[in-house]
Amino acid sequence: MTSSETFSNWPPASVEAVLDTADGIAVLTYSPLDVQQIISSVGDDRAGATAVFLGTTRNSFKGKVVTRLDYQAYSKLAIKTMAGILHMAQEQFSRNAHQPQNAASSLIKSVVYHRLGTVPVGEPSIVIAVSSPHRKEAFLACEYILEEVKLKAQIWKREFYEGEKEEEAEWKSNA
Amino acid sequence: MSPTHHLQPQITVLYFAAASTATGLTSEAVPLPSGTPFPLSSLAEVLASRHPDTGLDRVLASSQWSVDAEMVDDPESVSLKGGEEVAVICPVSGG
Repeated sequence: MTSSETFSNWPPASVEAVLDTADGIAVLTYSPLDVQQIISSVGDDRAGATAVFLGTTRNSFKGKVVTRLDYQAYSKLAIKTMAGILHMAQEQFSRNAHQPQNAASSLIKSVVYHRLGTVPVGEPSIVIAVSSPHRKEAFLACEYILEEVKLKAQIWKREFYEGEKEEEAEWKSNA
Repeated sequence: MSPTHHLQPQITVLYFAAASTATGLTSEAVPLPSGTPFPLSSLAEVLASRHPDTGLDRVLASSQWSVDAEMVDDPESVSLKGGEEVAVICPVSGG
């Protein structure tokens, strides 16, 4: 093993995690994300709509060729943050435009999966799925969950470029 | 090991992302200077002096803290007494 490979080992606090709550499931995993399984997990006969967002690793940044991306998380904290965002999504989008008196159940289930470790170009790093009786709440909640996770979850991405030294690879910032 | 060594409180500091790259560490035990409770707002200076010329000071200037896996909104209002797990939370980049 070269020294750069040794250094790219994941921090011990960046571990797999699952938090299953009444609002949905948050997952951090080193395994490839199984999109079909994730979509199926929000399936419900009451749902007329399922909104899905896939974030995949891109092959270029400002003209440079991206060879791979590494993700790490402070899992213990990040998983709480992700579950909290699912809860906020439930609170915020539980208004049903057609039946305002029946406000409790307009989002049925929302899940967010984020991959850790090396994610090869073209593979999903994040998958969000939201099921709802109606499309509008599903779309809105899905986008809300994505933007909040990008802004708040204690997850970090490092981009490696073709022809550049590994130790100079850049840690990104969503700010 | 002297008895005073046992008495000196220490914390565990976790480093991720740019903070980990700067220090070459993912965690370290940091003894708290005497006079605990120790203000969290003074921790950046302690860590920067443990890792001079690494750029850690610049990373800390743009980072937040978590203590025992809770984000800290106001470091001025938090003191450390020893035993805490403190993490440097660099600007995040998930998604």
